[in-house]
Amino acid sequence: MADKLTRPRIANRSGVLTGVRGAINGRLTTLINFLGDFSTIVVVCVLFLFFGLTSERFFLTDNIFNIMKQMSIVGVAATGMTMVVLIGGIDLSVGSVALLSSAITSTLIVNYGWNTWGAIGVGLLASCLVGLVNGFFVEKLLISPVIVTLGTLIAVRGLGQKVLWINNSWIEVKDPIFDYVAIEKLGFLPVITVLMFGLYLLAAVLLKQTPFGRYIYAIGGNQRAAFLSGLPVTRIKMTVYVLCALTAGIAGLLTVSRTGVVNPTLGQGLEFDAVTAVVLGGTSLAGGVGRVEKTLLGTAILVMVLNYLTIRGVPGEWQAAVTGFLVLAAVMLDRIVRKRSTQGI
Amino acid sequence: MVTAQAISYLSPAITDDHPILEMRGITKHFPGVLALDHVDFSVQRGEIHSLVGQNGAGKSTLMNILAGVYPPDEGEIRIDGQPVQISHPGEALRLGIGTVYQELSLVPKMSVADNIFLGRETQRGIMIDERLIVSRAQAVLQKLGVANIDVTTPVGELPLAQQQLVEIARVLSYNPRILVLDEPTAALVQEDTEHLFELLKGLKSQGIAIIFISHRFKEIIQHCDRGTILRNGRLVKTIDLRGVTEETLAESMIGQQLESFYRHSPHAAGRVARTTLEVVGLSIGKKVRDVSFSLRCGEIVGMTGLLGAGQNEVARALFGAQDEVSGLIRRNGHPVFIGSPRDAIRQGIGLLTENRKREGLFLDMSVKENITLPSLSRLTRMRIFIDNVREIRSARQFIDRLNIVVRSPIAKIRTLSGGNQQKAILARWLMRDLEVLIFIEPTRGVDVGSKAEIYSYLDNLARQGKTILVVSTEISEILGISDRILVMYNGRLSRVLEQAEANEETLLAAIQGGMGDGR
Repeated sequence: MADKLTRPRIANRSGVLTGVRGAINGRLTTLINFLGDFSTIVVVCVLFLFFGLTSERFFLTDNIFNIMKQMSIVGVAATGMTMVVLIGGIDLSVGSVALLSSAITSTLIVNYGWNTWGAIGVGLLASCLVGLVNGFFVEKLLISPVIVTLGTLIAVRGLGQKVLWINNSWIEVKDPIFDYVAIEKLGFLPVITVLMFGLYLLAAVLLKQTPFGRYIYAIGGNQRAAFLSGLPVTRIKMTVYVLCALTAGIAGLLTVSRTGVVNPTLGQGLEFDAVTAVVLGGTSLAGGVGRVEKTLLGTAILVMVLNYLTIRGVPGEWQAAVTGFLVLAAVMLDRIVRKRSTQGI
Repeated sequence: MVTAQAISYLSPAITDDHPILEMRGITKHFPGVLALDHVDFSVQRGEIHSLVGQNGAGKSTLMNILAGVYPPDEGEIRIDGQPVQISHPGEALRLGIGTVYQELSLVPKMSVADNIFLGRETQRGIMIDERLIVSRAQAVLQKLGVANIDVTTPVGELPLAQQQLVEIARVLSYNPRILVLDEPTAALVQEDTEHLFELLKGLKSQGIAIIFISHRFKEIIQHCDRGTILRNGRLVKTIDLRGVTEETLAESMIGQQLESFYRHSPHAAGRVARTTLEVVGLSIGKKVRDVSFSLRCGEIVGMTGLLGAGQNEVARALFGAQDEVSGLIRRNGHPVFIGSPRDAIRQGIGLLTENRKREGLFLDMSVKENITLPSLSRLTRMRIFIDNVREIRSARQFIDRLNIVVRSPIAKIRTLSGGNQQKAILARWLMRDLEVLIFIEPTRGVDVGSKAEIYSYLDNLARQGKTILVVSTEISEILGISDRILVMYNGRLSRVLEQAEANEETLLAAIQGGMGDGR
């Protein structure tokens, strides 16, 4: 949108004119970018105040912690999703991967008496494998990511449920490490929330400060040009699918630590929550544009809305409808913003 | 059917006072480019009027304005002496202006008849009246003088020449009085071209004014009545084409004052220079057959040919961006395998394509990021993190060196003009320090000032010992900058011209496939 203003009409011959115009437009661009950058955080603050003022229970310490913990699970899954969306893809298998990793890890701990870290390792490895399969089908066989991950969504949930059958589809996990993550606090923040923040920090550094992150933006922005610039496009995109599955696996384990049980519906709908968070955070579904920090804000919006509806006693089915409309609204917003910005070319 | 009204065909009927189309003082700016500068253009009823000019001369812009694709910044359009506003392609059709674009816009799986009336299906109730469409399509083809096309066959099954006719028929079905044809013969063989002109003469005798764009001088002189020559967005002149030679036409198209524009100084040519890249028996699917040549360091080699003669494919093959390639490529004497751009870059070969937006630029990224992308892994700390200071410093270094006009290295690249964007992509490869640089149409869509600058960089790069291959269909460009010229014709390397023997005449002839050594 700002580009329209800054586009130099006569670029070469009259450097002076361009310079002056550039300076004025530069300041305007900065202002617009500033507002654009902070619009999400403004929305978060307004919602937070509004919910707090219209409900007595919203501001209660317990509820705030509840929101934080709830955010952690969606938020963790949304980090990987942000990267997949940045390369112009999507991963619908996230919820099923969460079930798979938690089912495998829990079974290894409960039935086979494995060491917790070893079990977590195997669970996450299985998740990465699903990501590799997604990446392979999308990038090597060139099938649309929606179709591929819809397939793995169904197949992997089946796989996870098969693992659960050993225990009649229900595992109760009592493990000191899992309990620590769910119950303890580091300073004033729950461990689970600290983990999430840590992951966001990692993801932000990865995207902003490493060549790999830059390549993700380049591929999402113009895959053809990225290929012609000599980037190993296929390898990078497959890695991103693996990373997304990895975060989905972590999200599954966090769910187990929170609830203490694994059942066949664990993680159901997580993919939509994650996509909603990403889109609410302003990442373009067309790829190439977006920031993982803002996905965290998107997660906050989503979780606060759901929490508020619960507090106000809105039935579950209506909550689903609201989430759905949030997705549509966010996608529409994305569309409008994208249209405005492409007009500026 | 063509000869039915042949009596009137020799005299462009000037019965009215006004020409059917008059465009006066048409001016159009694009960001960074003055595409048209007060151009006057007029066409009579019943004439075939050729629009002549190099790529970027403004032909397409002028025709797009006529077709209502975009409005002119200044100027007036009159049809039959009446001033008109053409704000929309539909408006142009209503005014009787039909345009056949270079790229066919047919739906391959639909029948000829359905294609001709696509979007204007006659209905009976809610059903499409297929019978009426078929008969009307036949009538249109009849008018065009084509009877041998079955209107119920899917368009995709027809040969290209007939698809072209269907496209023309579709435009004719709007009953235009002015018919614009943008390079309709570029993809046709000689015989089909002849046939097309027969049909056009039939239309002409019906009083339709035809505006014809082509790069082939021979057919222009043979078949067109008058020609209007554009150069760099300005009108050169409108001439009667009777008795004009290809040479004079080429001369007025290119202009005389170009000597100073280009650097004629030879580089390594003549001296014994190291061969950096050698191609032996390169074939690409059915497009290119058995092409062999070698490039030396410190020289600029130009490669040209008609549109689709295979030169772009050869350039892309050297960069690993082309499928179905066979043949041998030697780099500094060693055979190398180039299966992807990644391989090519590793071998020190870079490519700048003609399609900047689609294949070169990351529009959402900054100028700095666009320049450093392939070199990023060398600008890191601990081989993991991007070293921001070093990144911006090296980007700035190349921005200064190539004189890229930009507020700051972190400005978005989409805010730059075409010429500056092109220089940024060049900077990308220079930073990577590649030895062989391949340019496809390096100055397409670039304003004249940047053009001269880009030529001088090419010259400098050659002097620094780089190997430069420039693929272009702009004859003056090829002549102006090349030490040697490779001419492609019909998928083969038909001729190699040394700078001393190359001039407009020999080059044009070679491009048309004439006077080839072995042909």
